[in-house]
Amino acid sequence: MLKNWRFLAGAAIVITLIAVAAAASILAPYEPNKSSILLLQAPSARHWLGTDELGRDILSRLIYGARTSLVIGIGAALVALLIGAPIGLCAGYFRGRVDLLIVPVIDLFVALPALILALIITVMVGPSYKNLILVLGFVMWPTMARLVRGQALAVREATFIEAAVAAGGTSAWIIRRHVWPNIMRIVAAQFAIAVSLATITAASLSFLGLGIPPPTADWGGMVRSGFEFLALNPAMSLAPGAATAITVMGFYLGGSAVE
Amino acid sequence: MLSFIIHRLLLAIPTILAITALLFFSVTTLLGSPATMMLGENATPEGIADLNARYGFDRPAHVQYVDWLMRALHGDFGRSFATQQAVARAVLPAIPVTLELALWSILIAGTLAVVLNSVPIGRRAIVPAITGLNILGITVPNFMLGISLIFLFAVTLGWLPSTGWVPWSEGAAAHMKHLIMPVATLSAYYFGAFSMVFRAEQRDVYLKLYIQVARSKGLSEWKVAFKHAMPNAVLPVVTFMGLAMGQLMGGAVVTETVFSMPGVGRLFVASIAAHDFPVMLAISMMVVVAVVVMNILTDFVYTLINPQIRLE
Repeated sequence: MLKNWRFLAGAAIVITLIAVAAAASILAPYEPNKSSILLLQAPSARHWLGTDELGRDILSRLIYGARTSLVIGIGAALVALLIGAPIGLCAGYFRGRVDLLIVPVIDLFVALPALILALIITVMVGPSYKNLILVLGFVMWPTMARLVRGQALAVREATFIEAAVAAGGTSAWIIRRHVWPNIMRIVAAQFAIAVSLATITAASLSFLGLGIPPPTADWGGMVRSGFEFLALNPAMSLAPGAATAITVMGFYLGGSAVE
Repeated sequence: MLSFIIHRLLLAIPTILAITALLFFSVTTLLGSPATMMLGENATPEGIADLNARYGFDRPAHVQYVDWLMRALHGDFGRSFATQQAVARAVLPAIPVTLELALWSILIAGTLAVVLNSVPIGRRAIVPAITGLNILGITVPNFMLGISLIFLFAVTLGWLPSTGWVPWSEGAAAHMKHLIMPVATLSAYYFGAFSMVFRAEQRDVYLKLYIQVARSKGLSEWKVAFKHAMPNAVLPVVTFMGLAMGQLMGGAVVTETVFSMPGVGRLFVASIAAHDFPVMLAISMMVVVAVVVMNILTDFVYTLINPQIRLE
């Protein structure tokens, strides 16, 4: 069932975000990393959201931050999908021993708090664009694997699978041609939800000081530094915080529209 | 029953050992020598060798792990690299703070989620309102919600203290005042999550025959909702509450940081920032144990709520 309003709202948000990220260099009034002597300016006609502690234009950093957020969110969800989907497919399709081996691992990982796991691994490998994507993908793959496994398990019982086996199809062929196409819709929805989870976790890591290293414009980091000046210029932390919330909501709504 | 719990606990031991070992080895190999970390930039080769010998960092990793584990089992988690304080002395005072924050948040979120979704009147207004709250609770990051609350209630209105923590001994009123915003922040996400889980189950329960029977014998919708539907739909929420409680033993990392609460989460973040490996490891171990134990406890609570479920 397609809950239409959710899908439309989610899609509208995501498309807007992608457009902003793509056109960042046109939309942003200033260079995002260019500091000036105008430190901590309140919002004005020249700087709509004010300037930060290094005199950088907050609106410009907010716009460029969309790029960071999208690249990490989508990248991490892709990593989770690339690890989780094959494992889930194998466990669900072959069942038996493979399943028995994989399920406890998945269950354990799903039960561990994602943010704490991400914090530990990030401090070990060091925060960088690439590492963050890999770490978040690694933390999230079990959720993806669990969903794919459940779906594969259900599809496997269908008569057309039996027919394909009887027709002499190899397992790899059956999984590719019969199982995967039937679960793709749900996996796509889960992918969108994974993007929203990765976005919120990445922003939380940055807020805690373990995200994208400066000077890259990144919403979680902007909230972190803006929080200190909350009374002076609330937009400094609330604007990137709201941007994060809207991004998470966009992907979440899109994903949860498909049931 | 007792044998079931003992059996599950015994099964949990290899899991806990495997995870802590994995953590121990990855931390020791990836974070570099603890001696260099403790001595900082002015480390001399002699100083490092001296420290290594004194703390036994020069021994093979598996020997160090067994040694650490044996001490940990006796309650000795070593000394913090950053403060030289015994790890237990740093972690123990933080536990009640986190425990109280987590308990309030999970209880309030769970109760509200179950009760609000059960109210049988005015559904046309309540249902969309709760849907909106669920989505907001799940998608608004904790730091955003926390900072917004601080801006509204502390900075602008001045009704509540912005951050910090006051122990019970300094007055219950002050204590609760400092807790309101952190609890509201942390419970928002759990309200959304519990509420969605409860709704999904409730939908199935309302299709059951016993609900029809209850209605046809003339029970009020209130009685149907709270006496017949709710107890049968509450189980998944209880599981989730148990899991959440276990996970939160690592601290409500973001919420505690936003509100500067001296809980386990903030200690964990500090230990991460300082590469303070003994503290990090002790807290991680606590989380793993808590998650495993809470899972077992939840299964146990199941049998109390629903006598149809038997443990073997």
